[in-house]
Formats: sequence, structure tokens, C-alpha cells
Amino acid sequence: MSWPVQVLLMGASGSGKTSMRSLIFSNNPASLTSRLGATIDVEQNHVRFLGDLILNLWDCGGQDAFMDSYLSIQQSTIFQHVGVMIYVFEVETRNMEKDLNYYKECLSALQRYSPNAAVFLLVHKMDLARGPKAETLARKTKELKEASEGTEVTVFGTSIYDESLYNAWSRIVHILIPNASVLSRHLAKLAALCSATEVVLFERTTFLVIATSTPPPPPPTASNVPSGPSSARTNGDLSATSHSDHELEVDSDPHKMAPTRYERTSELIKAFKYSCARVREEFNALEMELPEFTAVLDELTRNTYVLIVVHDPTIETAALRMNIRLARPKFEELQGDSLLT
Amino acid sequence: MRRSGKTSIQQVLFDGLSPRETLYLETTTQSTRHLFDTVIPLEIWDYPGDVTLETLDAPLAQFSTVIFVIDIQDLYQQPIQKLVDFVITAYNEHPNLNLEVFVHKADVLTDEYKIENFRHIQARVLSDLSYAGAEYETIPINFQLTSIYDHSLHDAFSRVLHKLIDSLPYLEDLLNVFCTNSQANKAFLFDISSRLYVATDASPVDPPVHNLCSDYLQTLNAFGPLYKSISASPPRMRTVPVDSSDSPPPSAPASPEPHPPSTAASNSNSRLASPLASPTAAPLSAHQSPQVTHQPLPSASLPRPPHASHSTTSSTAHPSDPNAQGNGNGHAPAGGSKPLFYPCAAASLAPTAAGTGTTLTYHLITPKLALVALIPTGVFQARRGLVEYNVVFFREGVQEICEVESDARKVAA
Repeated sequence: MSWPVQVLLMGASGSGKTSMRSLIFSNNPASLTSRLGATIDVEQNHVRFLGDLILNLWDCGGQDAFMDSYLSIQQSTIFQHVGVMIYVFEVETRNMEKDLNYYKECLSALQRYSPNAAVFLLVHKMDLARGPKAETLARKTKELKEASEGTEVTVFGTSIYDESLYNAWSRIVHILIPNASVLSRHLAKLAALCSATEVVLFERTTFLVIATSTPPPPPPTASNVPSGPSSARTNGDLSATSHSDHELEVDSDPHKMAPTRYERTSELIKAFKYSCARVREEFNALEMELPEFTAVLDELTRNTYVLIVVHDPTIETAALRMNIRLARPKFEELQGDSLLT
Repeated sequence: MRRSGKTSIQQVLFDGLSPRETLYLETTTQSTRHLFDTVIPLEIWDYPGDVTLETLDAPLAQFSTVIFVIDIQDLYQQPIQKLVDFVITAYNEHPNLNLEVFVHKADVLTDEYKIENFRHIQARVLSDLSYAGAEYETIPINFQLTSIYDHSLHDAFSRVLHKLIDSLPYLEDLLNVFCTNSQANKAFLFDISSRLYVATDASPVDPPVHNLCSDYLQTLNAFGPLYKSISASPPRMRTVPVDSSDSPPPSAPASPEPHPPSTAASNSNSRLASPLASPTAAPLSAHQSPQVTHQPLPSASLPRPPHASHSTTSSTAHPSDPNAQGNGNGHAPAGGSKPLFYPCAAASLAPTAAGTGTTLTYHLITPKLALVALIPTGVFQARRGLVEYNVVFFREGVQEICEVESDARKVAA
């Protein structure tokens, strides 16, 4: 992955690409996305992620005229040097045939100019899906994988009104971070030192999950993928089913905490940050001792926040904060290293 | 009136329905009753839109408040006429009835129109009333602008609730004392499940601040189930059965019971009886701890048996007994078990140009009520133990008030 990474956001007109971008990267609440108008041609955004990593987000307008021009005149400009392509489908679309056609053409253009790009498919506006969501998503996933003709794709079901969008984007961004496994290891060490159940690292502005101390849970027995994959790609099946409310049958997880907790945390904290912003205050840190757990959410480095969750009732939040303070230099160093790779 | 939004109000406030889902609610065809227990038990009767006074199947005297919901865009004659008729009949039958009008669905219009329509409706109602008769002009009717999509509904309903709580002055006094002694800018006593505030201190309620506290509470409520662990969580909330060794302290809280005002006026005086017992209570509670296998630390900074240094610094906090109350929670009411662990949380907001930052603190007071306060961050960091010490007193005060209320209700029932 060469920096800055070029991310293509494509899909039919009105499928929700600009709203997604506004929600995640510009920190607007979901209710304000109704004010966004159609995107004209391509909107380029340089998004600073983790401070030093730059994502070049190309939000491509989805109207037919633009799509046709991308696929003909502008093909080489758009599809060259692409790191990640995200194609957005609406779950209840009027013209699936047309969508699929455009998708296939974009995919082949991508193969030609950037064969190493990762492809993510988002089945968006899941809140409008008729019928049970899990089945609809499974059906769509199958359809899209067939249309992809052998290219490896990862499919997520998303909606801006709940936490599924954060889940999808966290996974997408995860493959862009160069030293995610190193970070994970260090977080696990921090967890052990704090006697914590879990430590999660979030990015400061977007609050997407960067790394966690626990490995992602193994996929359900429906697919035969071996347990404990660290790469986001093989989690494709997992993500398709994890949006239903099935409890993962995992023996290795004695706590059985809610599987959607990371993205729910992102969503909740962002909503709270927004309410603080309305009073013209800025959210700084949070600590809580609730009946179910104790947690501290605090700044770790310039661009990351860390959440430490502890179930041991004898541990005070002040101790956790001190540990965070002491761990700061190490994590600053780790982040500096990520630039060199 | 029909479709003005009564059932949505009730569902959003009390049943936790998300505002977006109220689109799917059906029209109410019969009057439905909903029970809701906060500081006082509430019974809410939700009537269908086309009811008139004659069809109400209970005498008006039974109700303490009537809330009339008008859609803000309903400027036509009919709903206002209906309201005026209703008010007149109600007044004749039961002069002491609290009348509230919620001008609802205020999110539909922009600010200028909102206020214009609001004033218009208000003026129309009052002028119609005065037409009907001079004495009707003076009926106190409260108009509130509400919407389920923001916090104005909670604010309005909270104010309605305030009129119904008898012990409100005492709760407010407790809050005032707490605020003065902890240098808090504002404090609210919230009901957790509905996010209505039961009481607040004397400073005026600023809507943005109220919204922030409400959102904070919502965030905290939502966090609970996320990281709940099946294996590790239950031992934290272990309650401790009252030990027989605890008998001297329980007699002390019993004495201030018939005098709730004294509890509020000076926590110190009512506690005078108990501190005498506390030197004995403190070592007793220390003995109590090893007996319980999983003793969670109380959220108050664990007061050890009287510390000399602690007592001198407490002079800034509270003009009360110098003895740190050893495990104040140990003063359980006679014959009841009491949880020793009270959740608390603090969210700190960054310093702005206006001055030092503020910290939002949350402390659980009873299983249904929580104290949310805004304290300057500097104060909170430096004097956290004292703030929590004050919270302990506040908590005991409120719990006593609640106990008295529930006892009174049992007797009356």
C-alpha cells in the first residue's frame, strides 16, 4: 500500500456515498445527511487518518452521465493507482440489472489499471430492507459475489442509522494500517498489565476501530474458515452474518460480550461528541464505573483514543489512567514507525 | 385531537421507543392506562383523539393533571375551541386541576414560525376563555412547545412532573446544598429510564445544558449492555445482607424520618446522631468486609476509619461531622439488604477559551434516579474524594425521602 492511498467510492446515484462520507469523516450526525445534494462529477477529499496517513477519497457522482464518462474518457485517471474500491448498492434498488452492469464494468476497469486494489461492496440503506435483514443480506451477498466473477470481494450490510456503517469502515480502514498486528500485540500487553478484559484503539476524529487487544472472534461454523484470521478479507463471511443478532458460538470467549460492541461504541461516542459540540464544548475523556464493568476512554496519542474495559471490581479508574499515561510514549513511537514501513 | 401525537409522546418518554419508529404507531382507539414509577408512581391515561368530557370513564376529580396536545400546525378553529370547552368544564368541575397544553410537533417549522404559531395559539386560547367569562381568564394554563425529536419534550414533561412531586422543595434543597458545597455549576436529579429530571438546583435551566446532560445519560445507559460479561459481571453487584452488628446505626436514620425538612436544611444536623455511632460503625463495617467474598469498592472514595488528614480537608466541603463516615452505605434500613456498589461516571470536556473545562459527573442515587452534575474540571481532579463524600450525603438524603414517600404510600393504600 503506497501512501497516500487512493480510495474510490462508487455506486449508483443516491445510494448514499456522500452521506457515508459526511457521517464518518466529517462528523455530521445522520439526521443532517438529508440536506446533501447530488454529487457532481468527482469530489476529491484528502482525509487525514491517524494524523499522518492520508486517504485520497474520490466520491464519484453516480448519475448515468458521470458513470458513462468514468468508464470511457476518464478511465485511466480514475482507475489508476487505486488502493481500495468501495462500491455501494442500495438494498432495495429499482434497477438491479443496471447497477450490476455498471459494477461489472467498473470492476474490469479496475482490474486493468489497478489489479492489486481491494474491493469492498456495501449493501447500504439496510434500514429500508423489506423482510428479515439477515436473509436479504445473504441473498444479496451471493448475487454480488457471482457478479464479481472470481475477484475476491468483501460484502457488508450497512445503514447510517445504526452502527453497521462503523463496522464496515473500520474493517476497510483496518487493511490500510500498516502495523495493525504490532499494535494489537502491544494492546494485548497493555490489557494484561491493567488486568483488563479488553483494550480498543480508536482513531480520534472518525472513531473507527484501529486495533483491539483481542483477536476478532472466529467465524461461525457455517463457513469452514479456520479460526482467528487477522486479515479483514477472510472475514467476509463473518461480516455478512454478524449483522444478524446471532450470538457467535465461541468457547474461547468466556465473557460473551456483545459482538457489535466496537461499532456501537464508535456510534455512541460520536453522537455524544456531537452533542458536546452543540454546546460548544469539546469532548475530552470519559470514565465510568457501571454495574457491569469499569471503563476508561482517554487520549492515547495525538490521533488515537484508547478504551480500556475492566471487569475486576477492585481496579480504580485512576490506576487505569495512570497506565495510559505511562503507555503513551511507547504508542507514539509505534505510530511514528508506521510511516517508515 | 386525533393524530396530534399523544401516544408517541407516551411511548417515547416511557417505553423507550426511538422517535423515528413512532411513524408506525397506530391510532389509539380506546383509552389506555400506563403505569410508570419514578420518585412517585404515575398512572398515565392515554385517550383517543375524539374523546369528550362526557365519555371519560372516570370523574375528573381523580386526575391531578390534564395534558392537552395540540399540533402546532393546527391553527383552525376546531382544536382550540375544543380545548377551551374542555378547560371551562374542567374548571367548573375541579378547580384544582393542573392544565397543561403541549404545542407539539414543533420540529416541523423553522424557529420564527414556531414561536409565531405558539404565541398565536396561546393568544387564541386565552382570548376565547375570556370571552366565555371573566373568571376563566385567570385559570393557570401552562403552554409548552414540544417535539419528540429533541429534548424539549423531556423538559416540558419534567416541569409537569415537578408539580406533582410533593417532596420537591426538599429535593431541590438537597441539590442546592450539594451544588454550593461541590462548586458545581448545575445539578440535575434525573430519572434514568425516561430521562426526565425530577429536580434541579436553583440556577435557571439552560436548554443546551439540559440537552447535554440528557445525552450524557443516554450514552451511559446505552453503554451498559455493550460490555456486559456473562462470567465476570454478576459478582460486582452483590448485595450485602444487613448484619446484626449494624444495629446501632439504623436507629439513627430512623429519627430524622418525621422531619424531612431538617434533612434538607442541614445534612449535618440530621447526621449528628449517626456520627456518634460512626466510630463504632466504622470498625464494624471494616469487620464486615472480609466476610463478603466479592466486596466491590463503593464508588465513594473508600473512607477509611477516621483519618485526621481527611477531616481537616473536609472543612472546605461540608460543614458536617469531621469523621469520615465509615462506609456510609452501611447504614442500611433495618431489615433490608443494600447494594454496596453505586455506579458513577465522569466525562471531562476540554478547556475552552472561556475558562477551565467542565466535567459531567453521574452518580447513581437510587435504582431509578441519578445525579448528573457539572463541575469544573480543576475542582473535580483536585477534590474528587470530597465531591464523592458529598454525594454520599446527598444520596442518603434522597434515599430517606424516597423511603418516607413509599412508606406513606403504603399506609395510605
